Amino acid sequence: MSDIAIEASQLVKKFPARPGTGDKKTEGESSPAPKRGLWPFRKKEPKTMFTAVNGVDLQIQRGEIFGLLGPNGAGKSTTIRMLCTLLEPTSGTAHVNGFDVVRQANDVRRSLGTVLAGERSIYWKLTGRENLEYFAALYHIPQAVAKKRVDELIERMELKDRANELVEKYSTGMRQRVAISKALLARPPILLLDEPTLGLDPQAARNLRELIAQLKQEGHTILLTTHYMEEADQLSDRIGIIDTGKVIALDTPEGLKRRIDQKEVIRLEVTGWHEDLGDKLKSITGIENLMSHQQGEADLWEVNMQAHNSRAALPRIVEHISGNGTRLVNMNIVKPSLEDVFIHLTGKALRD
Amino acid sequence: MRSEMNVKSLAVPGFFADVHALWAVVRREWTIFVRYPSWIIALFIWPVIFPMGYILTARALSGVDGSGLTTFQNTTGLNEYVGYIAVGTMIWMWQNIVLWNVGGSLRNEQMRGTLESNWLSPAWRFSYMLGSSIPQLVSMLMLMVVAALEYVFFFGVKFDGNLWLSLLVILAAIPSVYGLGFAFASVVITMKEANAFVFLVRGIVMIFCGITYPLAILPDWMQTVSQWLPQTYIIHAMRAATLSTEGFSGIASDLKMLVLFGIFWLAIGYLLFSLMERRARQTGAIGQY
Repeated sequence: MSDIAIEASQLVKKFPARPGTGDKKTEGESSPAPKRGLWPFRKKEPKTMFTAVNGVDLQIQRGEIFGLLGPNGAGKSTTIRMLCTLLEPTSGTAHVNGFDVVRQANDVRRSLGTVLAGERSIYWKLTGRENLEYFAALYHIPQAVAKKRVDELIERMELKDRANELVEKYSTGMRQRVAISKALLARPPILLLDEPTLGLDPQAARNLRELIAQLKQEGHTILLTTHYMEEADQLSDRIGIIDTGKVIALDTPEGLKRRIDQKEVIRLEVTGWHEDLGDKLKSITGIENLMSHQQGEADLWEVNMQAHNSRAALPRIVEHISGNGTRLVNMNIVKPSLEDVFIHLTGKALRD
Repeated sequence: MRSEMNVKSLAVPGFFADVHALWAVVRREWTIFVRYPSWIIALFIWPVIFPMGYILTARALSGVDGSGLTTFQNTTGLNEYVGYIAVGTMIWMWQNIVLWNVGGSLRNEQMRGTLESNWLSPAWRFSYMLGSSIPQLVSMLMLMVVAALEYVFFFGVKFDGNLWLSLLVILAAIPSVYGLGFAFASVVITMKEANAFVFLVRGIVMIFCGITYPLAILPDWMQTVSQWLPQTYIIHAMRAATLSTEGFSGIASDLKMLVLFGIFWLAIGYLLFSLMERRARQTGAIGQY
């Protein structure tokens, strides 16, 4: 058996752009020439295409946790949907567990446990146990084995006390545990987890991250998409950063951070921030990638910037900020995070 | 990096695994169905309410002394005008419910958000359609039994026909009625809208298939159209099986037509489902609301 669990080569997915939705044509996209439809007096509008995934190459090793990190709309979920056979690639190839996602789709489905983003992937009018028994049958698990496996997962996910209650009465975290149990039912070698901690409270998200780490220890290969950089950093053996449908960097978390190791990140907290101030700070020699965002509803702003030499830049930063109603509340020089790597690579923040 | 020695799949694929999956869909659908108690209202009240308007209209038109019924008897060969209307409206209700429930089954799953999670499994995909139809068929048979009892007790209808022949007609009608439902489900999931299609189809059935009147009163061109609709044969055969004493000979030609229509509509249903499934993978339509 090959050491590669998931392999994608020049994977592309294009959708017809829907008018009025803000779907943008990707650069270089061509539209077919206007055609006449069946109705001779009506010109058929040329179909514009929106490229959601634009030539993704991936090689994920067996037993690895691979994080696909990117902002909303970057192409993470579309990539996952192609790998789990819900979508056919427009071009390129992908193999999961050695099976082609188009020609051997059912073998791919048998090799995968998938948790898609959102909590409505299970039946709210069934109990947690009924949901798992149902999906066990869909995944071709013999009845006697399924019963034991469902009990085992209910126990493991700490759902035992409420396993016979309708899912509509569960919390978001409990529903997510049922969805993950569903993905684990057939004990598939590969797990695809699309934004698994989205919408969970901090404790539930922490528990889930622990579970993902355990699943890796048990030998599962995990492809995880997230737009939480800490999550990707903490869990992933390797990370692919994806933006506008392309993987723009791929390395270990440490390797990615080393790319901007020679830089420092200056983090300020200020009140009375205004955009002109940002322009002034950007004009200081050695300051790059300045990003600001308001914290909560109060007039408190977090301002991050990357600097080649913070010692040289700091006096000028302080000089610009003091006065005109702006006040420096806090200042730190921190080690670069994955978010800083993302800003360095794309010039924008993950949350944009 | 660890190898995945511990990860051994529990799945045992094969024909019986697919049958088991189909049965799981049936159980799931039935469990969810009985957890929405509004079906009890539909079961007891709808079969009485729906034909009532037609029955009262017929009573008014036949005159206080019922003298107008002679014309009806001459045209249909039946005395039982209430039973005549009740059978016609029951078949109409059956097709209507199948269009809503079976035709809307995939769309409902899509709106619930569960269609994709079903689609992720290696189970035979047509089993989601088949599986959701079986509980619907069982509930429809219950509705027919309750309706028949209500017609006997509330309207005094005399079903002089043969129960086994009635069941035979239902059996022969199933492929056409559900084949149309399967075709419908695939169209609805592509168009994202069921209402306009349901209204159109049930309107056609109502006008062309003679649910409350004999086809003989229709203009020739409408009678020609009605010959191409399986519901025409279902209604005719069901009236013959339940209300007349003709026996098998009264339904034989209708049964033949229903078998042919059944093969046609099941094939169309499966074909459209396969096309929809393929198109959904290309466009991502399964995950869109």
